[in-house]
Amino acid sequence: MTSSTLIFVILFLALFSYWYGMHRSIKVAGGVTKVKQLVSLPRQFGLLTALWCGIPALIVLLLWTVFEATVIESLLVAKLPQNIQEMTPSQLGLYLNDIKIMAQQNLGEVTETSEQIKHFAALEFQQLNLNAAWLKSAIIFLVCLSCVMFIVSRFRLDYRARAATEKITLKVLMACSGIAVLTTLGIVLSVLFESINFFSEVSPVEFLFGTEWSPQTALRADQVASSGAFGAVPLFVGTLLITFIAMLMAVPIGLMTAIYLSQYASQRLRTVAKPMLEILAGIPTVVYGFFAALTVAPFVRDVGESLGLNVASESALAAGIVMGVMIIPFVSSLSDDAINAVPKTLKEGSLGMGATMSETIRHVLLPAALPGIVGAILLAVSRAIGETMIVVMAAGMAANLTVNPLESVTTVTVQIVTLLTGDQEFDSAKTLAAFALGLMLFVTTLALNVVALKVVRKYREQYD
Amino acid sequence: MSDLSFTENLTSSDITIEGTVGKVVAEDAKMSMRNVNVFYADKQAIKNVSLDLARNQVTALIGPSGCGKSTFLRCLNRMNDTIPICRVEGELLLEEQDIYAKNLDPVLLRARVGMVFQKPNPFPKSIYDNVAYGPKIHGLATNKAELDEIVISSLQKAGLFNEVKDRLDSPGTGLSGGQQQRLCIARTIAVSPEVILMDEPASALDPIATAVIEELIDELKEKYTIAIVTHSMQQAARVSQTTAYFHMGQLVEMGKTEQIFTNPVHTLTENYITGRFG
Repeated sequence: MTSSTLIFVILFLALFSYWYGMHRSIKVAGGVTKVKQLVSLPRQFGLLTALWCGIPALIVLLLWTVFEATVIESLLVAKLPQNIQEMTPSQLGLYLNDIKIMAQQNLGEVTETSEQIKHFAALEFQQLNLNAAWLKSAIIFLVCLSCVMFIVSRFRLDYRARAATEKITLKVLMACSGIAVLTTLGIVLSVLFESINFFSEVSPVEFLFGTEWSPQTALRADQVASSGAFGAVPLFVGTLLITFIAMLMAVPIGLMTAIYLSQYASQRLRTVAKPMLEILAGIPTVVYGFFAALTVAPFVRDVGESLGLNVASESALAAGIVMGVMIIPFVSSLSDDAINAVPKTLKEGSLGMGATMSETIRHVLLPAALPGIVGAILLAVSRAIGETMIVVMAAGMAANLTVNPLESVTTVTVQIVTLLTGDQEFDSAKTLAAFALGLMLFVTTLALNVVALKVVRKYREQYD
Repeated sequence: MSDLSFTENLTSSDITIEGTVGKVVAEDAKMSMRNVNVFYADKQAIKNVSLDLARNQVTALIGPSGCGKSTFLRCLNRMNDTIPICRVEGELLLEEQDIYAKNLDPVLLRARVGMVFQKPNPFPKSIYDNVAYGPKIHGLATNKAELDEIVISSLQKAGLFNEVKDRLDSPGTGLSGGQQQRLCIARTIAVSPEVILMDEPASALDPIATAVIEELIDELKEKYTIAIVTHSMQQAARVSQTTAYFHMGQLVEMGKTEQIFTNPVHTLTENYITGRFG
């Protein structure tokens, strides 16, 4: 049986053992009428039995699947002639690949002597796989059966099935959260190690302070040009320039939207406008991207030309404007929350002294909400720095070191995309550079998020 | 008290309220309200209330929770304007001037009729800026020296200056509850209002801070006309000259404080001040 069939079989067995456990517990109690004598309910006994049936079997299946290929290979190698066993690992890998491909095809008669060994090995491989499948099914059944027998044998009147079930549930929950944490850790570590590889080829000083970015390296020694330059400063400057333009757009508009919606707008308008803004946050960024590339960028270029300016068709300005629009809902929604969190008594206190609404907002509400607003802006900045699709489509690829928003610039995220698309050698500096850029991006946004959360938390303590 | 039906009788409609008992008109009225009705959407919160606030006196508004006394107080400087569903009818005059007139700016009204709230609500600014806030927005001071003068004299009048004179730059939220409330009073008198409305100003304070506030209210009436909403009948008896008893949105009885507390006319008033309900 294949692993996916086995999963369904295990689930079915678990269902069956639920019913079985229930009946066993009723029997232990001495009939349906005496169920009250049990410490736990029959269905809790049933659930416990089902968990004991399913979870160990699934764990065994998982471990089997993980180690199956390696074990079968080593068994196969042990049966091969001496001269093949002594090959280098990469040669052996190729040889084994041949065998596996052969095993999948129809095995006919082979005449060549060199192929005869392979032919024999392929047959052996098929046999091993078949045996493994049988063994796997048998072991799974055995595990299910023995676990169910074990737990059912422990059923007594005073057996606390509910407590036992909850213990298992707790462990399952812990395992789930462990997966999330371990995945994050794994990603961070892999990025970190690949970056260290990169920095052994390119010095960190060149990467952090070099002003020329041209990541094309020669694939062969006789290739012309393309020695590769990995100065990331143009990328950082490009990222900061676009982020700056985006914030210049998003902060005033978002903040004023928040003020209007929280203080002036009627209830009816608010119930319509707030969901609309949240829809804006839900538009996929790739849609913003082609909007930027096809509509905003040409528009910016045309306006620039009519003013006598020389604007690139893929300008930082266009990408920044569209990114700003994308970020408006972030700023407005979080600022709205911050302004609404200011106690109503403060607003009334100010109005009660004869301050106008705008004076109250400027002198009382905004200062009181400032930490929350700063937090909102920092979160928006980290979002802008990490944004990819809009800049890929609208900002261009040329790593110009410029702060002129009318020129084409490129960002860290765009370069990561271009470095990793297409066929790549995994050990070249060009590919590894993507990891170093990713690490920089990760560190920056992490720092911004930590600062933002700190600011927001401090603010919360003030009024709760 | 153990018999619930007994208390129910006291508050039920068995005891009718037919108009207001006692004297609602003052000889020298600073504010005068006639036939005031207040509605929250369809629900009527104040029913046909008429009363005067006598000049340079403290008028206490008492009554059980939800009787409308705070709602009525908030009509007097149009704070209810901030609630969209709230509607006010009737004649409300400040020095013979209709405060709900179309051409009257509520912002200017609130500078003349100041308000102190239940919970001390200093702005997240320094003590100095808290008091200077009103004079600044109303342009009461032309230079720094004049502003200093207003801030200091307001803090003195509120009896807070000696406690905070060395730390005027520290935040107002760092003061104790009683000090914060006196800061709010200083802030209110800094714009030189004519009337001060106080909505349970001592309900969030400990007894000592309350005593200080009560003493202050007594001094302030020399210069200002004061209306105070309170849940504490002892407080009403201590600080006010006139007391108005509200019940279910109606003004049941109004009169001299000593008369209300020693010899109430209406049964509901008597039941309330003797502590049988409320």
